[in-house]
Amino acid sequence: MSERLNRAFSEPAAGLTRLIMYLMAGDPDPDTSVRRLSGLAESGVDVIELGIPFSDPMADGPVIQAAAERALAQGMTFTKTLDIVRAFRKSYSTPLLLMGYLNPMLQYGWEKFIQDAVTAGVDGLIIPDLPWRESKGLRSLGTGLAQAAGGHLSFIPMIAQTGEPEDIKALASENQGFAYVLSRNGITGGEVEIPATVLNFIKDLRQLKLPLCVGFGIRNSEQVQRLAPFVDGVVVGSALVERFAALDAKQLNPGALIEREQEIFAWVRSLKATP
Amino acid sequence: MISDKIHELMGQGDAPGRFGPFGGAYVPETLVPALRELERAYRAAQEDDAFRTEFQALLSKYVGRPSLLYEATRLTEALGGARIFLKREDLNHTGAHKINNTLGQVLLAKRMGKTRVIAETGAGQHGVATATACALFGLSCVVYMGEEDVRRQHLNVLRMRLLGAEVRAVTIGSRTLKDAINEALRDWVTNVDNTFYCFGTAAGPHPYPTIVRDFQRIIGEETRAQALDRIARLPDALVACVGGGSNAIGFFRPFIEDEGVRLIGVEAGGKGDASGNNAATLSLGRPGVLHGAYSYLLQDEDGQITMTHSVSAGLDYPGVGPEHSYLQEIGRAEYVRISDEEAVRACELLARTEGILPALESAHAVAYAAKLAPELPSEQVIVVNLSGRGDKDVETLAAYLKGRSQHE
Repeated sequence: MSERLNRAFSEPAAGLTRLIMYLMAGDPDPDTSVRRLSGLAESGVDVIELGIPFSDPMADGPVIQAAAERALAQGMTFTKTLDIVRAFRKSYSTPLLLMGYLNPMLQYGWEKFIQDAVTAGVDGLIIPDLPWRESKGLRSLGTGLAQAAGGHLSFIPMIAQTGEPEDIKALASENQGFAYVLSRNGITGGEVEIPATVLNFIKDLRQLKLPLCVGFGIRNSEQVQRLAPFVDGVVVGSALVERFAALDAKQLNPGALIEREQEIFAWVRSLKATP
Repeated sequence: MISDKIHELMGQGDAPGRFGPFGGAYVPETLVPALRELERAYRAAQEDDAFRTEFQALLSKYVGRPSLLYEATRLTEALGGARIFLKREDLNHTGAHKINNTLGQVLLAKRMGKTRVIAETGAGQHGVATATACALFGLSCVVYMGEEDVRRQHLNVLRMRLLGAEVRAVTIGSRTLKDAINEALRDWVTNVDNTFYCFGTAAGPHPYPTIVRDFQRIIGEETRAQALDRIARLPDALVACVGGGSNAIGFFRPFIEDEGVRLIGVEAGGKGDASGNNAATLSLGRPGVLHGAYSYLLQDEDGQITMTHSVSAGLDYPGVGPEHSYLQEIGRAEYVRISDEEAVRACELLARTEGILPALESAHAVAYAAKLAPELPSEQVIVVNLSGRGDKDVETLAAYLKGRSQHE
């Protein structure tokens, strides 16, 4: 795992827990993406997930589907996604994960994709349509290529509550930084209650001795407070994307827009603040 | 670009159900156990005499199988050349081959104790067939259908509702079959505990390409027996339309080892070869991952799935079943394309020479047979899989012909 990602999980969390936040690359345009990623880093976000837009995001709900459509409509590509990462890396060492579907990565050329991502400063990948069972070949090739390029790329595994024990054990056998635990069966977005069953599921996963971050449907500080004692981090995606999208829909002048973005960053800071 | 090394690596995933490098199960982690459960249940059902007997009984007593192998003598005369036979899947209950698969899958759903069935549909034939099977077994049924298809296949929407299914129009993306599959997958990943996804074509994640092919194999098995009975030999060529490819793979499969039998899949050439004007995935696409499988796709340089077009809703799909990708790669099957105009002319030709109105999907196969027959000697035999009937397309055809006469 990269030094940046390792540091994020080995040092104690600032606030209630670690906060992982998601934005779609190029929504609404690359410059805005760079500015907002920087804002997230300044607001104490521990890990950034940058979405690569895809035309057919089968694991995503309406909010992230719409973000992908906006990004693609204004001409976003994988090459431009890496430009955003490079621009961000000039000033920030917050670990950054790319989250995207397999096909655009394959079409860019898996080998080149890995090398260019590592060189740009990406720390890991989350690929919702590449389950652990199918990932072995691409993962071991990717890990090797990343090292050859002088870096490390984590393949963040996702753990579903439907997961079979042998699969969960297999994916936990390598520490990729953390495991992304799904709060429920389903797609991104919406709102999830945190029932006792989820907490019990997380408690059982503790024996894996792997940092655990929970995502899908996490959108307010009450949820973060309820989860914090049991997890190493929480992932907030749709709730953030939705806030920026609502702001963009107002078509404010640049000065006013930047001003109003501060309100969103204040909300970000409040998410893991001790009540 | 996908390098040769990666192409080969794609065939080495842990999930079974590969066709060379193609296939696999590229789905969210939540669905992995559901697909494995489905595979286990399917294997157990196959071994179970009671399941096979019940399925066979449904095919003969409910669907009306075996379907006829009909010699189209007037069509043959009109064209000159090889004799043309039609495998009449259009005569099945509900009017297409889709019912073979949905009865099998819904029987499986019942066996697995699932109470809710979901499906995607393009032309509406799979939706109607799923709604029919669910009505027969008393299961609740939700069908996802792109808004564009809801419009152009309105008759089938009404049929599904009469059969008690809920039709949900999908209003995102291209609003056609591909988006209906995305929405059905999103529903399944959310309701996986009680829901069975009745997949309509021989595509999608493993084990669907295998299950759907096996339930459609009956088309090829009957054709083989009927040909031996009627002409005392195997046909020289089989012709079938390919969208996702379920009718074609079921038709081809029992002939794979018979190298003297040409297997020809006909894709939707639409309005031409430019991107967005057709749905000719195998002819004009390249390999990639969509809807859980590694197979040919119509996509742009960045790996985004491109818009497709076909006058036939059932072929209007940017992917194709992985086994077809494999048959193309090893050269066992040929894939050709037929334009909207040629397909419409084939509808008219078959209607007027034989009194049979084919579905626009199946008309693509008829159109290619009409091109091929005159090039072959009269002792040769072509069998066309007439996968569905054309009642659902009457409005589309009328609109197309009106447009053409105005243009002329």
